[in-house]
Amino acid sequence: MKKAAVTVHRSREEVQRLWESSEHRPEYVQGTDAAVTFKDAPGDRGTEIHVDLEGATSRGKLGEVVGKLTGSEPLAKVKDDLRRFKQSVETGVIPRSEGSPEGELAERKLKQRPAQPLDESELDKAGVR
Amino acid sequence: MRATVYSGRNTVQVENVPDPKILNDRDAIVKITSTAICGSDLHLYDGYVPTVKRGDIFGHEFMGEVVETGRGVSNLAVGDRVVVPFPIACGNCWQCEHEMYSLCENSNPNAGIAEKFFGHPTCGIFGYSHITGGYAGGQAEYARVPFADVGPIKIEDDLTDEQVLFLSDIFPTGYMGADFCDIKGGEVIAVFGAGPVGQFAIASAVLLGAERVIAIDQYDYRLQMALNKAGATDVIDFSEDADIVEQLKVLTGGRGPDAVIDAVGMEAAHGHGALHAVERVKQANRLESDRGHALRDAILACRPGGIVSVIGVYGGLMDKFPTGAFMNKGLTMKTGQCHVHRYLRPLYEHIRAGDIDPSFVVTHRLGLDLAPDAYETFKHKQDECMKVVLKP
Repeated sequence: MKKAAVTVHRSREEVQRLWESSEHRPEYVQGTDAAVTFKDAPGDRGTEIHVDLEGATSRGKLGEVVGKLTGSEPLAKVKDDLRRFKQSVETGVIPRSEGSPEGELAERKLKQRPAQPLDESELDKAGVR
Repeated sequence: MRATVYSGRNTVQVENVPDPKILNDRDAIVKITSTAICGSDLHLYDGYVPTVKRGDIFGHEFMGEVVETGRGVSNLAVGDRVVVPFPIACGNCWQCEHEMYSLCENSNPNAGIAEKFFGHPTCGIFGYSHITGGYAGGQAEYARVPFADVGPIKIEDDLTDEQVLFLSDIFPTGYMGADFCDIKGGEVIAVFGAGPVGQFAIASAVLLGAERVIAIDQYDYRLQMALNKAGATDVIDFSEDADIVEQLKVLTGGRGPDAVIDAVGMEAAHGHGALHAVERVKQANRLESDRGHALRDAILACRPGGIVSVIGVYGGLMDKFPTGAFMNKGLTMKTGQCHVHRYLRPLYEHIRAGDIDPSFVVTHRLGLDLAPDAYETFKHKQDECMKVVLKP
């Protein structure tokens, strides 16, 4: 399976506009030549975003660097991007916990911090400020 | 600051950890004045919930004073006295807009982990493992509260901490369990488990107009509280007779209760029986995460066409689910972590009006530094322990 999808609680016009905006642009997905489609979701649910990595050849410069550094697989990075896009569009923030201070991140799944506040140096490292 | 930290199965310690900081514009920092230990904390303490890590700060029932707010929090000011709901909810997603706050689609930054266990992520929860986000909990001097513009309720009366603290979880949780039962007046409701959540399920069923409420437990002091404080009309002590299903039938003229509430969850106890011994061993060896006596009996006891309301917490998989009884009797099951935000205001109004004083469950008050003793006392139900409030 090389597909991922998310539903964002906004109109299709708004989702498509924000997808290209500097504030919300999903960097990993846009660094690939994955096929991205937008569909009206049923009822009042908003907009479905579908990403298909089948046939995507290049992951782009950023994608390559990230992949090399982390060894993470592309589909997991795409899912991170979709969740973070949904979060930032719907809530205006990327939710961060003490266990996952960077926000949703595939590499954090197996390397959770303990759920206790970060000290000063960790705050800098997590890019929180 | 000082905080209650998990340090391995059956062990918590109070340690010095860094003070929490604002990480997002919609965060606030709360200086905690009262925090409680929940029965569901014992599932973590006992090591039955996956993805709990050493060093995690526990605690999801807490209240206190706002000491700092992020730029996006305009409804709260420094100095406000607030109770914080245990589910973390964004207020913006489709689920939140439909008041299903514990199913918030955005507040769990470990959605990838949650999907592996549950198929989908559910909301973030304070101090409650990494499946629910890896958020630091509130059995501490301070806590960071994400989406503080949505969750905390301001307390502006001179009610005591103990009268309003349980708005954070167990009062709304018990209330939701009763709300699920579609009480219109004249029903018989059976409540499995007369712990703190069970007490509030009983009290709520009474508030909503149930005619009879039957409390089921194996500890007499808990059943006495159910009768004398929560308003139960009947009790079943299964340490005296383990056949709960038959006793419920007799108490209901053979019909069975119209709805049953499971306020027990994954570590169900049972006075007797070979099945319990088998399940105890399986669970201890991690072959099964959820012991299911209470839920099985609830399904077998419920009137055909009735409602099974599950508010006790389950974490994984259970064996021998009675699918035959569940299907053939045409039962409806309703369940979930409580949508606390939905109930906060109406339940606060009930407290203000004097319809209920939730402080009746408190049996133990201790300083935060005594949290390790408090966990043991609560776990082993020593000294007739019902509910522990810790004061940082």
